[in-house]
Amino acid sequence: MKKKLALGILLLSAITVVAQQENDSIRKTKFKFNGGLESNAQWYLNDVERKIDQPESPLRSNNYLFLKANYGNFTVGTQVESYYKEALLNYNPAFEGTDFSLYWANYRSKILDITAGYFYEQFGSGMLLRAWEDRALGINTALRGGRINFKPTDGVSITALYGRQKSGFHVSDADVFGANADLDLATLFKQDSFGLTAGFSYILKNAEIDESVVDPKFDKETPAYSGRVGFSKGGFYAATEYNYKGEEPIYQPTTGLDYDFIKPGNALLVNLGYSQKGLGIDATLRRMENMSFLSDREPFVYQSNGDQLATNSLDYNDRVLSFTPALTKQHHSNLANIYVYQAQNRVNIDVTTNINKTGEIGGQFDVFYNFKKGSPLGGKYGTKVALNVSNWFNLDADFEFEDENGAYKPDYDAKFLGGGEKYFSDYNIEVSKKFSKNFRGNFMFINQYYNDRLIKGSFIENVVKTNILFAEGIYTFSGSRSLTVGAEHMWADNDRKNWASLLVEYNHNMNWSVFVMDMYNYGFEEEGNLIDDAYDLFKIHFYNAGITYRKNSSRFSLGYGRQRGGLVCAGGVCRFVPPSTGLSFTISTSF
Amino acid sequence: MKKIALLLLFVSTAALAQKELPNLNLKSLDNKSVNIKSDFNEKDKVYVYVFWATWCAPCIQELDAINDVYPDWQEELNMEVIAVSIDDARTGKRVKPLVNGRSWEYNVLLDTNQDLKRSLSIANPPYTIVVKNGAIVFEQAGHAPGSEHDFFKKLKSL
Repeated sequence: MKKKLALGILLLSAITVVAQQENDSIRKTKFKFNGGLESNAQWYLNDVERKIDQPESPLRSNNYLFLKANYGNFTVGTQVESYYKEALLNYNPAFEGTDFSLYWANYRSKILDITAGYFYEQFGSGMLLRAWEDRALGINTALRGGRINFKPTDGVSITALYGRQKSGFHVSDADVFGANADLDLATLFKQDSFGLTAGFSYILKNAEIDESVVDPKFDKETPAYSGRVGFSKGGFYAATEYNYKGEEPIYQPTTGLDYDFIKPGNALLVNLGYSQKGLGIDATLRRMENMSFLSDREPFVYQSNGDQLATNSLDYNDRVLSFTPALTKQHHSNLANIYVYQAQNRVNIDVTTNINKTGEIGGQFDVFYNFKKGSPLGGKYGTKVALNVSNWFNLDADFEFEDENGAYKPDYDAKFLGGGEKYFSDYNIEVSKKFSKNFRGNFMFINQYYNDRLIKGSFIENVVKTNILFAEGIYTFSGSRSLTVGAEHMWADNDRKNWASLLVEYNHNMNWSVFVMDMYNYGFEEEGNLIDDAYDLFKIHFYNAGITYRKNSSRFSLGYGRQRGGLVCAGGVCRFVPPSTGLSFTISTSF
Repeated sequence: MKKIALLLLFVSTAALAQKELPNLNLKSLDNKSVNIKSDFNEKDKVYVYVFWATWCAPCIQELDAINDVYPDWQEELNMEVIAVSIDDARTGKRVKPLVNGRSWEYNVLLDTNQDLKRSLSIANPPYTIVVKNGAIVFEQAGHAPGSEHDFFKKLKSL
């Protein structure tokens, strides 16, 4: 009944959206209503050449209807989600059917903000607590409970919350309590010549201990806290944040939850920079040790189903409280997104593969510079240059594997400063230049180092070193018409070796655009040590074409093509997608 | 449950109210709390909110292109661009150096956990919202290179 109702609302509201947009009349009412609709559909097809059979339900869609009603200081809202007939391939199995996914009621005044129901939140940089949504990645880790935010005066913000973390249409079992204070000290003490901020967070996770555990050596409550300060003066700024996670048993994908392997975790983040008009310099350094903070003690397991192997919630970045993204540049180039670094926040001690890691240490460095108009390198329109470097290493640590009787008993001691083996590095430079009134270009060179064995914990020694060249030209004709051509090539010394890619996009006006693109992989040995050798063991064109129509707040697009199997990343988190071929259709609108 | 559904249905069919920005505070680049509604409410002034991210190439293209003609636009029309970054903790530290490094003249706000983006049901950046006298008078999903001229004509007509 509930599900049918939800589906009915979804459909009727979709019709209403269209109807509403026809009506331009503006009425002055105090009562406000708005929302949005998003639908991502795929029709998976057989691809004989790639030996891919369409799944049992080939037509799948993820649909989201968001509704919000506001009257003065009060707002109520809901989100209905429908996965019809099933969610898109490799989405979290917790997304199933049609139902109310979120609902909340909120009161907000200048000093008070109270929410009951589902809410999103982030404390500090989110390394201990971030409840967020990313539909493309199938992430929705909202908390269900209550939250109060209090701003007694300018420069003070205090939050207290309680909730259980959402997973699909359910919530996890553990209770999460949190408190946070952010102080803008410069404002509080009426100082204009510099900026000074401080913040503190406390989180308590209460998860039951399985009855089978005799005399547990840990508490069912895990505390975590963090502190941060920021300072700025003129163009200079500096900030640091320290996070500490209390002792809890460690979960490892290979050995599961080990009730005798109990460790705390911590993370340190330092950010320094200088910027003025035309120049920006920034350095971000981070060290993380055992910083995976789950909302339950261990990931929720989804049994194997048909041709789908057993997976767990961690595979979908679900039931996770901490947000520890990779601090690397998120590239616009297609080929630079094949070997993507994922931040290493977990402990892994594995005697079979001899891959032992406890976290990561490293940093990212950026320089942005604008060569002014009229200068020798700036030319008539100026030249913009962006340099980015990132390097990430395993922590330097001593490991133990056995107790005095020779039984498996892992332990480690990680040094505070000191890097171990390198996980990943990325050195890149990007130049954007306007050549004439109608023509502009972007050029990029990217050099990456990707240590697959260490990052993924596999047996096979597989370090991939790549060099990528990317060039893009945009020519605009009169009347908002434009043509974009992007070409790139990647030289890789290992795995699937070389790739070439070409993209052509034509924008007819503000409303219509079409694109065709192809990615071609060549030069590899079929017998070589391929990272993912299950599919596409031949020289293959990954072609795609699509058409988009945009009007006001709505966007419709239709596409056809081949999806490479692998990681699809957005906002610093990646989702594994299986190889597929098919038609895609997306709608998004807000009202 | 049924009652709630009926209520929602009623609401979704009956309400055709004027659309406004939600009453939310965001942080500016110098860490000041800014109300996106009450701090941008000069009578008859045109406020252009561009939602963007450091990883969104078309967004940067759009903001670069507007930046080139921004002084001319401001001379001809009482208008202001507010560039709302939806970068999260992964790329958020790159916002300030990028904005300065590209010599952007905009008022930049940070929607770090994407509360404003979500509240307005924005699916993907770039996304542009034009506000005049408290009401949302124009919205545009996406960006077409070279459409700045047409966009400015639109702004003048609002």
